[in-house]
Amino acid sequence: MLSRVADALFWMSRYLERAEQAARLLDVASQLDLDLHGVVASSHDLHWRAVADVMQCAPPADGGSPGVWLPATLTFDADNPCSILSCVKRARNNARSIRGSISSDMWRELNKLYWLLNDPDFRVRIQDSPHDLYSAVELSAQIFQGVCDATVARDEGWHFIQLGKYLERADKTLRILEVKGRQLLGRNPLEPSVTNLHWGSVLKSCLAFQAYQRIYINRVEPERVVALLLLSPDFPHSVCFCLQQASEALRAVGNPSEQPPKAWRLLGRSVSELIFADPEHIELNTTMPLIGAALDRCSQASSAVQEQYFLM
Amino acid sequence: MMNTANIAPSLNSTAAGSKLLREYAVTEAFDEMLDRDLQPRPHYEQLYRRLLTMPVEEFRRRKTMTDLFMRQDGVGFTVYQNDEGIERIWPMDPVPRIIPAREWAHIEAGLVQRITALNLFLKDIYHEQYILRDRVIDPTLIYSGTHFRRELRGAEVPRGIYIHVCGSDLIRDAEGRYLVLEDNCRTPSGVSYMLQNRQVLKRVAPQFFHQYDVRPTEDYPAALLDVLRHIAPPTADNPTVVVLSPGIFNSAYFEHSFLAQRMGVELVEGRDLVMDQNRVFMRTTRGLKRVDVIYRRIDDDFLDPLVFRSDSMLGVPGLVNAYRAGHVSLANSIGTGIADDKGIYPFVPDIIRYYLQQDAILPNVETYLPQVPSHLSHVLENLDKLVVKTVNESGGYGMLIGPASTAEQREKFAREMKARPRDFIAQPTIQLSTHPTFVDGHLEGRHVDLRPFVLCGEKITVTPGALTRVALPKGSLVVNSSQGGGSKDTWVLASD
Repeated sequence: MLSRVADALFWMSRYLERAEQAARLLDVASQLDLDLHGVVASSHDLHWRAVADVMQCAPPADGGSPGVWLPATLTFDADNPCSILSCVKRARNNARSIRGSISSDMWRELNKLYWLLNDPDFRVRIQDSPHDLYSAVELSAQIFQGVCDATVARDEGWHFIQLGKYLERADKTLRILEVKGRQLLGRNPLEPSVTNLHWGSVLKSCLAFQAYQRIYINRVEPERVVALLLLSPDFPHSVCFCLQQASEALRAVGNPSEQPPKAWRLLGRSVSELIFADPEHIELNTTMPLIGAALDRCSQASSAVQEQYFLM
Repeated sequence: MMNTANIAPSLNSTAAGSKLLREYAVTEAFDEMLDRDLQPRPHYEQLYRRLLTMPVEEFRRRKTMTDLFMRQDGVGFTVYQNDEGIERIWPMDPVPRIIPAREWAHIEAGLVQRITALNLFLKDIYHEQYILRDRVIDPTLIYSGTHFRRELRGAEVPRGIYIHVCGSDLIRDAEGRYLVLEDNCRTPSGVSYMLQNRQVLKRVAPQFFHQYDVRPTEDYPAALLDVLRHIAPPTADNPTVVVLSPGIFNSAYFEHSFLAQRMGVELVEGRDLVMDQNRVFMRTTRGLKRVDVIYRRIDDDFLDPLVFRSDSMLGVPGLVNAYRAGHVSLANSIGTGIADDKGIYPFVPDIIRYYLQQDAILPNVETYLPQVPSHLSHVLENLDKLVVKTVNESGGYGMLIGPASTAEQREKFAREMKARPRDFIAQPTIQLSTHPTFVDGHLEGRHVDLRPFVLCGEKITVTPGALTRVALPKGSLVVNSSQGGGSKDTWVLASD
């Protein structure tokens, strides 16, 4: 397939996943806000700052409470490249430039989302109920991937879409674990119920809350959250699962040169570290370097993919 | 003389009656649906009955759904300003335009004749030029035409066919005769609207189709692909076909990607292509892949910076060489623009007679040539009643519409015509036929034209359908999209 088209499919998928992640993070944070309301002040901003760090969103010059500026800047700020609006716009622009290579159902779904976000009536409605915005974005992204799965043959194009999605998802899950890990380690331990709220929200940010309960049938414990989200080969938002899927996509796309592609080697290393780690012996302070290494390799793998397949 | 539509008692089947057609008026122009007595023409009768009893709100709902589907599908064009694209959906009016089989047979025969003659004409003027030697056409018209490409003189083109895709614009005069307003032989567009309109109307108003046997238009992309494969270089075993587009900033981009997708071929831009050993390749994730046939939607001028405009970033340097060497085929061929040159248009009936020894089945609109002194004086005397067009312009600009012009505009055109008479043609203001169109909560007559699409490959195929363009502003005769137009689904019936 045309390199330019592969590039566009990869980024369309990546930006849409990013938009979905941003929406979910904001949704979970605003729910957490209501739970933490009236609790110790110092923990109040933690979850908002976490979102800002995960999305790599810098605070504005005039500062202020992140609970106020973050939702605003991460939803409809067209100048902020991390905002939901910017991500959807970029996803759509990529899709538009390769319309012939995606199914019309996929295009329609993405286009509908774009026009919804640009509808002035919608923007007014969601001021009172921001959850409507977040769920609309999440749902639309999920429908998009569902339609993609149902209408696209498992060809090269499909694999690039998976590659973009899973690299982005792995990246975000890693960042969530890293940011939350740093925040909640090395602080005076918070009240157990507060800690659990925070880690519970980590699970919710990765759609893993119910999966966790089915597996562990108990209170939320940080080590187990990390075990699930980092090491599980079965759960769709876990880093291990995502990197395996990304590797698989790379393998399926094939190898234009003789050497095993650099991206594949990078991802493969992280996958084996994660697969062979012991889920029973997770300690936050030993696991952090693992997370950091995986994050680096994700970025490097993404650049390697660009070089190998898109910049011929 | 205006008659207002008093709903004839015999057709008013419900007490309520619909307000849709209540005030419908016909003018001197030929109305597609109603005759002078405001009775529906036979092929419109079913539709007319349905519209008579359809409440306005229900119709309005369908119109809203039409707009929604068009928007969701991204059917339209984008006007770019400062990197921000303003997307304009080209609106479709839900009332279909219907053509009975007998009329279509006439149109089809005329179009087949026309494209055959024009292809023979192009072959001739790029080779022996017998038509010039026999003094049927003035050589100056050819050599001063901006779209006559000397680079193609003597070159062989695949299968000897120059025009593969042609969209001729037809109008109907007050007597209902079909006339050819102009041919489009370079990169005619609009077929995606023809196809999309049918899809949308089937979803939005399936009941309209009841009891009508409308011929399907679905086959066009497959027929186009057949033509493209037919002209592939003989050495290409399983020819690779691509659509070459200027990219997303081009207003017709939707159509380029639509056709590429429906044919199952790659949509490429100039930057995806490279030349190697005088052959064309595209950059893929697995290396370079040879390209055999290019359906190019880029004008000649921008196709190859080494041969034509050197500032073009849209084309492929070296493409023309590969084309002349027969290593890649192009549809349409380079140099077809001289066939739809407005200066040549008045002579097309002569061209048909010269190559086919036949009279034109579809007549031209009566045309005056200012380069002929008697014509010039007639034109100058009647400037307020005529439409004057500049040769070499398209899109509805560079035109004077006499009845709608100011004295100053007419003065300007008069001066220009006297100075450069060869650069103009003039035609009487034809009242294009009208068709009921939904405006402000009811149906009103709006002027329409007809653009059918002709494919010329192993055989000549005229898809049974067309793009009917509507001029939405009241009384306007200009149907081009960029100036407030819309379209209609066009039905060719299998019977009368």
